[in-house]
This record gives sequence, structure tokens and C-alpha cells, in this order.
Amino acid sequence: MATQFVDHSALRVNQTGIVATVLVAFIGSAFYRPLLVLIPLLAVVLLLGTFAPQLALFKQIYFKVLKPRGIVRPRPVQDRPEPHNFAQGLGGVFLVVSSVFLLPVPVLGLAIALLVAVLAFVNLAFGYCLGCQIYFQLGRAGLIKATPSSGSGTV
Amino acid sequence: MAAQLWALVAAGAVVLAAAGLELWRSRHARARAVGVPVALAGEPQPQAAPYILYFTGESCTVCRTHQEPALAKLVGVRIDKVDAIAERELSDRFHVYTLPTTVVMSSEGRSLHVNYGYAPTRKLERQLADARGVPLGATVTA
Repeated sequence: MATQFVDHSALRVNQTGIVATVLVAFIGSAFYRPLLVLIPLLAVVLLLGTFAPQLALFKQIYFKVLKPRGIVRPRPVQDRPEPHNFAQGLGGVFLVVSSVFLLPVPVLGLAIALLVAVLAFVNLAFGYCLGCQIYFQLGRAGLIKATPSSGSGTV
Repeated sequence: MAAQLWALVAAGAVVLAAAGLELWRSRHARARAVGVPVALAGEPQPQAAPYILYFTGESCTVCRTHQEPALAKLVGVRIDKVDAIAERELSDRFHVYTLPTTVVMSSEGRSLHVNYGYAPTRKLERQLADARGVPLGATVTA
């Protein structure tokens, strides 16, 4: 299968959106508790975006606003979108779990949301994608159909 | 505010525990992967010079954005690209649990240095120099 191009600027805008939303919910809820609703909303945004990319809010902001106006430059990289979508979906699932605990055990709910933000930040700042590594491990274990790369050989 | 502080402490503890676990895991895997022959059966095939086994895969973005440019800067070094999913047996032998993984092989065909995660050019050059001048298994670097 031919390798596609993924615009990494869209991924970075997505990660920035996740970090910013969680931080606003985390810090803001100390002063105005209803801001906690941002966490379940973010979970919905991430899960929707995983299964229907046209509904990925932050990526759409990039494609419809930031990129056309030249605010963020595109950065196409030869890559596959599946691991990134998987990582986003995993983030969404963790935020659902976080949302479940937000009211009965707020410390646990906030801690899980904070971890999602930390992982998004690590990906944004250092390029390390934990979800992509999990995708690789699941592919090796045969639990998901990970496509082998273009081949082995001498470079 | 108290919930936020405790959540911060809890998340920090998880991050520290994960970092410690990752450190232990990489050291443990490296200790088992150093000195391993590349040949599937029998004695390893001697090569003209040390070379690099480069484990990668379709899911690895860092491989394309960081590791491959770093490898491209190594002049006159043979680099064997291995698909970690397709070549399961070989990647298991070197305990590849993350991508990219680079293995500096001695000219005798045994692993001398194993790097789990991105390895910059300078580090690989240092390891290759070591592979050219130091007897097998003499050093293991982090």
C-alpha cells in the first residue's frame, strides 16, 4: 500500500486544542465549576473526529480558517493517518472515563484528563506519540490490522 | 482548588512512574538484545564492516521525520531496513518494543549497541566507531 501524506500542522493544531481545552477546564473549574463540562465535550469532539474526520473540530479550524489565512503553514509529511486517528480515539476514550469520574471522584477525573493533556503536549513538543506506539504493539500482537511498511532491505 | 491540586499530584505520580517503567524496560530489553547474532540459524555471517539494523514500520512517524534523516547523514554505512511487523522473528530477537529501534552490528554479525527510540547521528557515529575499534561486547551505552 502506498504511503500517504499527512499534514502534521493539522495534527499539531489538534494537539494544541486538546491541551488548551483541558487546561481551561482544569484551571477554570477551580473558580467556576461548570467549566468541567469542557472535558466531556472534548471527549465527544475527539471521538467524532476519529470516526468522521470532517467532524474533527480542531482539524477543521485548521483546514477552514488557519491554513487558508496563512496563520499556520501546512507541513505535509509522508505518513499514515491511522496511528494518529487511533491515538486521538484513545484520547477520546480516556476523556470519556475521565468524564464518568468527574462528579463522583473529581480528583481521579481531573487526573485522567490532565494525563491526556500531558500526552498531547509530549506529542506536540517532542513528537512522541504514545497512542501510535500502542497501535504498533497491537499490530505486532495481531489485534489490529497494521499494514507492513513498503518493505525491508538495504537503505 | 483542592481537587485540582490532588489531581496534579496524582497525574505527576503517574508520569514519573511511567518514565521509570520506560527506563527499566529499555535497560532490560537492551541487556538482552546486546550480543545477539543477526543470522537466523548457525554462525553469524562476518561482514566487511559494522552496519546498522533499522527497525521501522508504517505507524512510525518519528522514523520518517527524525530517524531516517539522521541515518542518511551516516556516510558509507550499510543500513538494513527491517519492517518490525513483517519481520516479527527478527524484531523479537532484538526485543524491539518501540519504533524506531536501531541496532549497531559488529562486523562479526552480533549486536553491539541497541537504541530504543530516536537515535541522533552523533550517537550512531560514536557507536559505529566503537564497533570498529573495540572488541565485541566491551561496551554498552544507554
